[in-house]
Amino acid sequence: MAKYTEMAYDDPDEMVFGEAKEPVTYGHGPQIKAGGGQVFNVTKIAPRPGAEERPEKLKTEFRKITKTILQRAVTLGFPAQEIENEWVHQMGENPVEFAKGPAIEQQAQIAEEFADEYGIATATTHTIPDLRVSEKGLRHGQDRESFYPEKVIGSFEIAAENGADVLKIESSGGMEIADYGIQRGDIKAFLFGIGYLGSIDMEWLWSQVVDIADKNNVVPGGDTNCPAANTAMFIAGGYLDKDIARTFSAITRAICAGRTLVAWEQGATGPDKDCGYEGPIVKAIAGKPTVQEGKDCSVAHADLMGNLAAQVCDGWSNESAEFHEEFSGWSSGTWAEAVGYEVSLMNTAKELGKDKELRDLYMASDRYRSPESYIIAYDNAYKIGEAMVEVGDSYYLRSKAAAEKAAELIQEANESGELQLSAHEKDTLNQIVTDLKALPDDEDKFVDECLDEYGDLPKFDPKNYGL
Amino acid sequence: MLDISSVNYDNVFKRYDIKAEKEVTPEDLFEEMAPQEDPWNTIAEKLVFLEDVSSEVEDALADYEPEEVINEGLIPGMDICGELYARGVYYLPQLILAGDSMGKGIELCEEAMAQKGRKREAKGKVLMHVAEGDPHDIGKDIAAAMLKAQGYEVIDMGRDVPVEDVVDAVKEENPDVLTGTALMTTTQTAFPKVAKRLEEEGLDVTFIGAGGAVNQSFVHSFPMGVFADEAADGPYICEAVREGKDWRQIREEYDEIVPSAA
Repeated sequence: MAKYTEMAYDDPDEMVFGEAKEPVTYGHGPQIKAGGGQVFNVTKIAPRPGAEERPEKLKTEFRKITKTILQRAVTLGFPAQEIENEWVHQMGENPVEFAKGPAIEQQAQIAEEFADEYGIATATTHTIPDLRVSEKGLRHGQDRESFYPEKVIGSFEIAAENGADVLKIESSGGMEIADYGIQRGDIKAFLFGIGYLGSIDMEWLWSQVVDIADKNNVVPGGDTNCPAANTAMFIAGGYLDKDIARTFSAITRAICAGRTLVAWEQGATGPDKDCGYEGPIVKAIAGKPTVQEGKDCSVAHADLMGNLAAQVCDGWSNESAEFHEEFSGWSSGTWAEAVGYEVSLMNTAKELGKDKELRDLYMASDRYRSPESYIIAYDNAYKIGEAMVEVGDSYYLRSKAAAEKAAELIQEANESGELQLSAHEKDTLNQIVTDLKALPDDEDKFVDECLDEYGDLPKFDPKNYGL
Repeated sequence: MLDISSVNYDNVFKRYDIKAEKEVTPEDLFEEMAPQEDPWNTIAEKLVFLEDVSSEVEDALADYEPEEVINEGLIPGMDICGELYARGVYYLPQLILAGDSMGKGIELCEEAMAQKGRKREAKGKVLMHVAEGDPHDIGKDIAAAMLKAQGYEVIDMGRDVPVEDVVDAVKEENPDVLTGTALMTTTQTAFPKVAKRLEEEGLDVTFIGAGGAVNQSFVHSFPMGVFADEAADGPYICEAVREGKDWRQIREEYDEIVPSAA
């Protein structure tokens, strides 16, 4: 499949929330038009522990979750509401029993009923769990113990055949090497794990997901590097956390953009997965719609870009929150409301022709709050995208280019005094720059070096990547 | 783009981490805490400055007992790293790299002990696993590194470990502490199942439960469970077990024992 070697946008200022170069339409009633001129709400709620014990319990849980989200959306007059279901492990283990009836069919039916009765645009997105474990094998026929690769692909088929509107995943290829790199501050390991191996795994995975989606006329949305770049971001944390440097997590974010892009190169259309904070970079390159999350993730994690993350989103989402009762009703409804009002603000700004001003206010709020928020500010995300497409044909080189550009942007902003860095963040960044400079310009040479250096790590098996 | 040059960012956010930066350096703390005599000073220095300690350990083993090499050189070196981490000078990667180096040194010492028919006496034995159905293991790996750095023997069962395998391993290994980690709310439900099966088998062991969506009220709702919010809590809970406290006492004195509870 062709790789991106040009930017979708001529200028970063063209990018704004609610508009993408290649909008995607799906769902019930008036339908959701991702990137088609308005931002849409996405709400996802996790079932309570214990609900996964039996399909009947799970079905009851998902009925309540879905209805209470849509009831709140209708109560408050929101024009569109997407329901995302991040499958729990048991659904991926046995999708026929635990996912088909309890989630996929039921949620599609409820979404359709609300669309028919109230005229609200609704849709259901199913995010399949990546059960695969590198020690057991990532590809068909390799995991003879748990058959996870087969179960993952089988789950996409079940979802696509039984009512899902959009398919997504948080795939984990290369995570075993990325984890090693995150723990040791080893950017080369992260680049190998995510920039190279992760991209190869994405090819394997997304070529199949796109086929399944095409056969069933559903939308192959996209991916996220939640298992690696978000791990780095969460561990880096906020100003009281001292586990890894935020300059390190910023560079991992840039690196992972090349990997997340592969889903779209394989034919996925967007919208991609909300927790991919690399969304502004990949949207700048591909022009496909992105769902983002930020300040409405506070129940799951703190991040330093709560407002900025909304700057160029097409869908706005909360982070998975547990289903439980609050003073005003179920948590599902409270999150639908929080997300929905933010979306209302964005869409009002669009109606008034003030969307670019609001975009810039979101961006300005967090632009200098952390190195990671700085590099995904849309103007900088665009610059990283430009560096990537110049060498877009090589997974390794484009990930390396992203890392180099991000490091350069952070250094410049620090030198100009706009972006403050702690001594530790500076030291780490200097080390990263040194490590990046030492890398070869040839992909094959890089891979050989990495296989020598990381080939013996216990969880890594080159066969998982066809090496 | 909107002109944002007039924004006074002091009114938007404050970099408290920079304001609270410590002036102490690894060199300062090494000078203050390191053993004075060689070869212990050199061994500690290698660990603190994140270099491979193998050849220094091999040299020391020619003249000293392996237990002495561990107690006089390797452990004081890791203690300095631990202090640098606690003071926010070293971050996780420094601690892990020092731990990697120490691991190599310990391995050499254990080989030397085996040749003399002896076995290393660790501070305690910790059996670790990630819940069935959960592939996220970085938290477990970080916790394991911290426990090893503090002198505990770690038996790592890996990720996606079935409940019965955990119970069998507890029977076989008789650990001082069992740990389970999970990222998701729906995989953490394996923990009470493990506790129930251990009870049925007549086993009683402090069972640290930790991970992304795991919280104290959940872990303290099943027998044996003790919650750890941070990987760095692990050695403190294990130390309480070493002092003879069982999981009930640790829960009672939780806020005093576990640093992240404060």
